[in-house]
Amino acid sequence: MKRKEFFSSLFAFVPLVLGFLGISKISVDFLNPETGNAKIRKIFAISLEDINIGESRNMTDLKGKEFLLIRTGEKKVKALSTTCTHLGCTVYWQQDKNRFYCPCHQGVFNPDGEVVSGPPPKKLNSYDTEIIGNNVYIYLKDKEA
Amino acid sequence: MGLAKWFKTSFPVDNEALVEMSSEPIPNHLKKWWWALGGTPLYMFIVQVITGLLLVFYYEPNVEEAYNSISRITNELPYGWLIRSIHKWSANIMIASVILHMMRVFFTQTYRKPRELNWMFGVTLFLLTLIFGFSGYSLIYEQMSYWAMKVGTEIAGATPFIGDWMASFIKGGEDIGQHTLTRMHIFHVMILPLAMVALIGLHVYLIRALGVSDLRFKDEERVEKKTFPFWPDHATTELVMVALIMFVLIALALLFPVHMGERANPNVTPIHIKPEWYFYPVFRWLKLTNLFWGVLGPMIFIGILYLWPFIDRFFEKIAPKKDLAFWIGVIGSLILTGFFFWEIVGH
Repeated sequence: MKRKEFFSSLFAFVPLVLGFLGISKISVDFLNPETGNAKIRKIFAISLEDINIGESRNMTDLKGKEFLLIRTGEKKVKALSTTCTHLGCTVYWQQDKNRFYCPCHQGVFNPDGEVVSGPPPKKLNSYDTEIIGNNVYIYLKDKEA
Repeated sequence: MGLAKWFKTSFPVDNEALVEMSSEPIPNHLKKWWWALGGTPLYMFIVQVITGLLLVFYYEPNVEEAYNSISRITNELPYGWLIRSIHKWSANIMIASVILHMMRVFFTQTYRKPRELNWMFGVTLFLLTLIFGFSGYSLIYEQMSYWAMKVGTEIAGATPFIGDWMASFIKGGEDIGQHTLTRMHIFHVMILPLAMVALIGLHVYLIRALGVSDLRFKDEERVEKKTFPFWPDHATTELVMVALIMFVLIALALLFPVHMGERANPNVTPIHIKPEWYFYPVFRWLKLTNLFWGVLGPMIFIGILYLWPFIDRFFEKIAPKKDLAFWIGVIGSLILTGFFFWEIVGH
């Protein structure tokens, strides 16, 4: 290839490749926007008078996802996500077997949310809670804008 | 100027070239009916495009109305149930015939030189067909399809290195919602069909350019002429096959029409959950392994499929005439079939 031809090709193809890369980058960013860190909100959940020790309540977080609030002691509560840590299915609380069971791939968790058997890689997620007086508060992520 | 002359001037197509193009020599083994099934996925794709075009006139891709619009198509619109049933059954036949076609190519080893690249296009078409099935099923927004979409996107999310990016790209946000449905819809009705048409074009072009491989059977008489023309001989056989497959398709649609499942509930996974039949082996595999291997296993399998023509060549080099490829194919097929039936009978 002659020098002139080489430079002609270079001038033709480099902008083409750069343009293609630019458009690809813009398209990918457009289709995959960064989701900003959602604010954490402290929300009143329940009064201790309305839940006895050992009892649980189904609740919904700010994104509409269900979770379980369990009173484990006099001044102790626990809020467990019911979303399986394997592939996102909802776990069932099986009272007779004292366990959480995921119907998708047979994951089993104990009442503390720890993995007993099956493919889940880690324990069920939990939400931070706080008790002020008789009131139970829970820390939840706000909805994305 | 006569109309015929005007047309010929405005549309200068060489008739002789057309005749030559359509007279591709076809190897004799394709005279046997069983060998004329290769076009089935293509016919089913055409049926999908036609019925899909009709369905998209009424389908509403938003989380509030998707289920209602499909319910309306199924229960209220004239022949809606039939069009939807044919769409679904032709998808199933398409997937089944692609799998059978791949097995035929595998066991007759027609992926060998110089057809390696066409095998790779074929594997891509197989994957596209599965993604087609997955995205189409997701659009229904009933319980089973919603949770299939959920599990599918989470699997994408567990892919090493690019998982988070991929899951976020497919979901269009942190969780399944309107953006996910929009994306599934755009993929199903726009991006995948275009990609499919392009790849089918390449696949068929390479079959034409490299020629159909010639297979001989032990009981076959030696004849002078090993080929016969595509037009009209093979085209007639194909037309009979189309009629037969259409008969089977319509019979299935009439005897087993589609119905509506329960509306999607993002908070409750059905206690008895199963994906579509073509994902049964993967679903069973996910129950048997941890998440890492659950996701990596199918990827390795796909990688092996892509590179199979070269792996086969390597085997042939280290152990010639030992039929390693055949036995690996038999064992692989038995494992997949085993997982398939295990998922049918197991929980």
